[in-house]
Amino acid sequence: MIIKQQEVFFGTAQFILTNQRALYWEAQQMLVLSDLHLGKAAHFRKNGIGLPMQLSVDDLERLATLIFFFEVRTVLIVGDMIHAGANNEVALFREFIARFPDKKFVLVKGNHDRIADSFLSELGISAVTDELVIEDIHFIHHPTGHHSGRYTVSGHLHPGVGLRMPTKKIMHFPCFVLSEHQLILPAFAKFTGTDTRSMPRPALCYAFYEAGIFEVKLS
Amino acid sequence: MDSNWQQSDGYRIVRDWMAARGIAPFDFQEKTWERYAKGYSGMVVAPTGFGKTYSVFLAVLIDFMNRPDAYGNGLKLVWITPLRSLAKDLAKAMQEAIDSIGLDWTVEVRHGDTDVKTRQRQSKQMPDVLLLTPESLHLLLAQKGRTQFFKSLQCIAIDEWHELMGSKRGVMMELALAYLKAQYKALRIWGISATIGNLDEAMEVLLPVAGKKVKIVAKEKKKIAIEPLFPDKVEVLPWAGHLGGALVHKVIPVILQSKSSIIFTNTRSQCEMWYQLLLEAYPDFAGQIALHHSSIDAPIRQWIEEALSEGRLKAVIATSSLDLGVDFKPVDTVIQVGSAKGVARFMQRAGRSGHSPNEVSKIYFVPTHSLELVEVAALKDAVKHNAIERREPMVLSFDVLVQFLVTIALGGGFLPAAMQKIIRQTFAFSYMTEEEWQQCILLITVGGEIGKNYEDFHKVVQREDGMLVVEKRRIGMLHRMNIGVIVSDAMMRVKFISGGYIGMVEEYFLSKLKKGDKFILAGRVLELVTIKEMTALVRASSGRAITPSWLGGRLPLSANLSHFLRQNLAMSVQHPVRQKELAFLQPLLLTQQQYSHIPAEDEFLVERIHTREGFHLFMYPFEGRLVHEVMAALVAFRISRLYPVSFSMAMNDYGFELFSDTELQLSEEELQLVLSREHLMEDVINSINATEMASRKFRDIAVISGMVVQNMYGKQKSNKSLQASAGLIFKVLEEYEPNHILLKQAYTEVFNQQLEEPRLIAAFERINASTIVYRISTKFTPLSFPIKVDSLRQSLSSEDLEKRILKMQEQSLKQTRNKNK
Repeated sequence: MIIKQQEVFFGTAQFILTNQRALYWEAQQMLVLSDLHLGKAAHFRKNGIGLPMQLSVDDLERLATLIFFFEVRTVLIVGDMIHAGANNEVALFREFIARFPDKKFVLVKGNHDRIADSFLSELGISAVTDELVIEDIHFIHHPTGHHSGRYTVSGHLHPGVGLRMPTKKIMHFPCFVLSEHQLILPAFAKFTGTDTRSMPRPALCYAFYEAGIFEVKLS
Repeated sequence: MDSNWQQSDGYRIVRDWMAARGIAPFDFQEKTWERYAKGYSGMVVAPTGFGKTYSVFLAVLIDFMNRPDAYGNGLKLVWITPLRSLAKDLAKAMQEAIDSIGLDWTVEVRHGDTDVKTRQRQSKQMPDVLLLTPESLHLLLAQKGRTQFFKSLQCIAIDEWHELMGSKRGVMMELALAYLKAQYKALRIWGISATIGNLDEAMEVLLPVAGKKVKIVAKEKKKIAIEPLFPDKVEVLPWAGHLGGALVHKVIPVILQSKSSIIFTNTRSQCEMWYQLLLEAYPDFAGQIALHHSSIDAPIRQWIEEALSEGRLKAVIATSSLDLGVDFKPVDTVIQVGSAKGVARFMQRAGRSGHSPNEVSKIYFVPTHSLELVEVAALKDAVKHNAIERREPMVLSFDVLVQFLVTIALGGGFLPAAMQKIIRQTFAFSYMTEEEWQQCILLITVGGEIGKNYEDFHKVVQREDGMLVVEKRRIGMLHRMNIGVIVSDAMMRVKFISGGYIGMVEEYFLSKLKKGDKFILAGRVLELVTIKEMTALVRASSGRAITPSWLGGRLPLSANLSHFLRQNLAMSVQHPVRQKELAFLQPLLLTQQQYSHIPAEDEFLVERIHTREGFHLFMYPFEGRLVHEVMAALVAFRISRLYPVSFSMAMNDYGFELFSDTELQLSEEELQLVLSREHLMEDVINSINATEMASRKFRDIAVISGMVVQNMYGKQKSNKSLQASAGLIFKVLEEYEPNHILLKQAYTEVFNQQLEEPRLIAAFERINASTIVYRISTKFTPLSFPIKVDSLRQSLSSEDLEKRILKMQEQSLKQTRNKNK
């Protein structure tokens, strides 16, 4: 796995965006990600659509690599951790958290997280909240349109950017979207589509692929 | 003919009944009646308007009247039509015939629009004759009571078999027929078809099992007259284009002197534009003309169809949405705008006028650009030689098979070994291997090869008695919603904010519009107010507006037509010119001759044109857009092996262009090499992006096999947590299960349909046997110009992802820099 890093400033914070779908906040030793959609493939299987288990295993392996790489103390998930109810892929996550007894896992709830808080704490999540404020940064799952000067970090949109090739063909990349007061995170889960439409404009996108991360301006 | 049989009560009653209406049976009808009575299955081939329906339908009535005891209570005849709209009128005509003959049978229709109450009543008590679409037949097979429904079934008739065969709906029919035939051995299966190029094969696909079967071909022929509309001067026609607006003033008198006309266009946007053009040029048409295409709301379409058959409309501008269907008696004129691209389609459209058997069907042809006149000349020849295209039956469509297996599992289950035998008997799956069969079973029971350890996968389960069944209600519900093989782009309904639906437009188009933007649909200018839950709310507006360019709809030229096209073009410079279309085009053809060359039948023309923009290489195989797409990529690939150069490509039905900004000195020897037949398929595979093409094919496969749950408009969105795009699933499977049977099918479809391997090989063989004529010009020629202006450009890119991204970054930087200036 290649981890490429891109520094950005947001409010008073300094973040490292990575091409592996998460950002690292060094001052807090915190890894921030969103839209993990645990158990999505299992939910599909339950409904008769055969998708491999390996998908979620790979997502979690990527998360583990990032935790080791940055020497993370806290993992913050900005919503949509669980796709649709408990299933055996969600159970994988319990084992995963147990591998990291000295790390804190914090969840800001999203629209998919309709599961009981007691279940979440039983999984090993140490704090569950609807909104989290650290210094001048607000973490909230659903990006709000009017931000009254607050710096918010959100997920939910699964942002992506379509780039026109010289051939008129369009290639899509997942990305971080940075505007004056808002940072939208890409979906951490690989088995998710991207939305290239509902993004705030103007904004700066940090699009990425297996081996790199690059900047695209949206006007 | 058997004289005993002619003495039979049934025969005499039907004959008298026809005589009372002033008609006598055609030979092919009598033959069908007699063979049916003798227990045969078969296929009837007759042109439209000659009473194809009566051949099979009356056969069943006659047989019943002769042997009433052989027919039990309930459903006796299932009649399959490809179109819902056909079913209603056909049922009415059948019921009238039954009533006036004096039988007490009932005829009913059942499809997606049939109300729940009627469906429930039918499930309890089936009518004697039931009209279905292939989809609604499968829905019946998915019901627990299916053995009850079909216990008295004597005959299944498949109307318009030529329309179904060659598509996955044809495969659906093959599967359903094989299954029913295995349950009810005495079942007679009768297909009804128009003429196509491979009738014997069509019959084999329909009736693959040996037994009493017969092909009955009508001797009668439909006469067709083709009349091109010429402008006053050849210069009026553009060298390129697709609208044909220059000839509006020639079309108006034709409409005025006819009782009622259908104007066929090739695309929905062309249809909308012609409606506007006609109204502008002749405002009195307001209220007398209408437009009809598949994006217009069904009730409006129905109203238009009724108005047309009652003679209340002067003209209807249509797309292929009116190709098939009931006869509109008042229609005496058909006008085709632009090339019909195929002989069969053209004849079918012509047949929409002049209905009674011996009338001549007259069709006017409106060229949209000059060279299309050559196509008219070619069409005339093709019609004269009856060179109607083949329909290639689809084989090994595992997506359809997987869907069908779940359907049968849902309606009561099946034993795998017995089912395998039944499936093997179909034409489509006669070459299915044991391994492929096992993979299909694994797919529905454990979710695929690597799914053997997914304890959470639930679709089809094996009961203790060995039957494979669907047990979970939710799975059954999802499956029923998705039965069928017609996959459309996500469509949004368009509705007035004050109420009333207008039609449907691709979500893709609406997503690009902003609030307040205006667009045209169903001939009206609409302003977008808002989008809510897959419905676009609009209000009436006026002024300039965009016409949605619906995706698809650009059919390539058929191989049959391209043959006659090459022939006619070659003849166009021989004197005296036989065809009036070619005579009219002389000035243009002379320009081509003067700037470059007109290829004879045994020549292949290549033009190299140097302009200020750069260097263009044009080649003219006349093989249709799809084949040219592949050829262009191949030739570009082969040239790039000789010189480091990158191209952008463009193509139309006549030829293709390779464009480069660096000079290209291709010698004649090198050209020979580039066009060689050697290593053809090998180079083709290296020149195209097969993964990307397969990913596109997988879209339909994923929906049909149930891997993508379609979110239909109007339906509640309770399946939101099951939404994933086919592209995403394709990527996942490529990564984790590369041997997935449906992935392999996607690649096979690319080779069979996209690459059209046999046609490609034939084309290269022809080119290799021809003399290559290599011309260098400094001006665009009449042949090259339309390709140059074609907007569908694409380019060869053998660069890897890294390089492409670098290029794009540079570009986006350039854009922002330009903006900052």
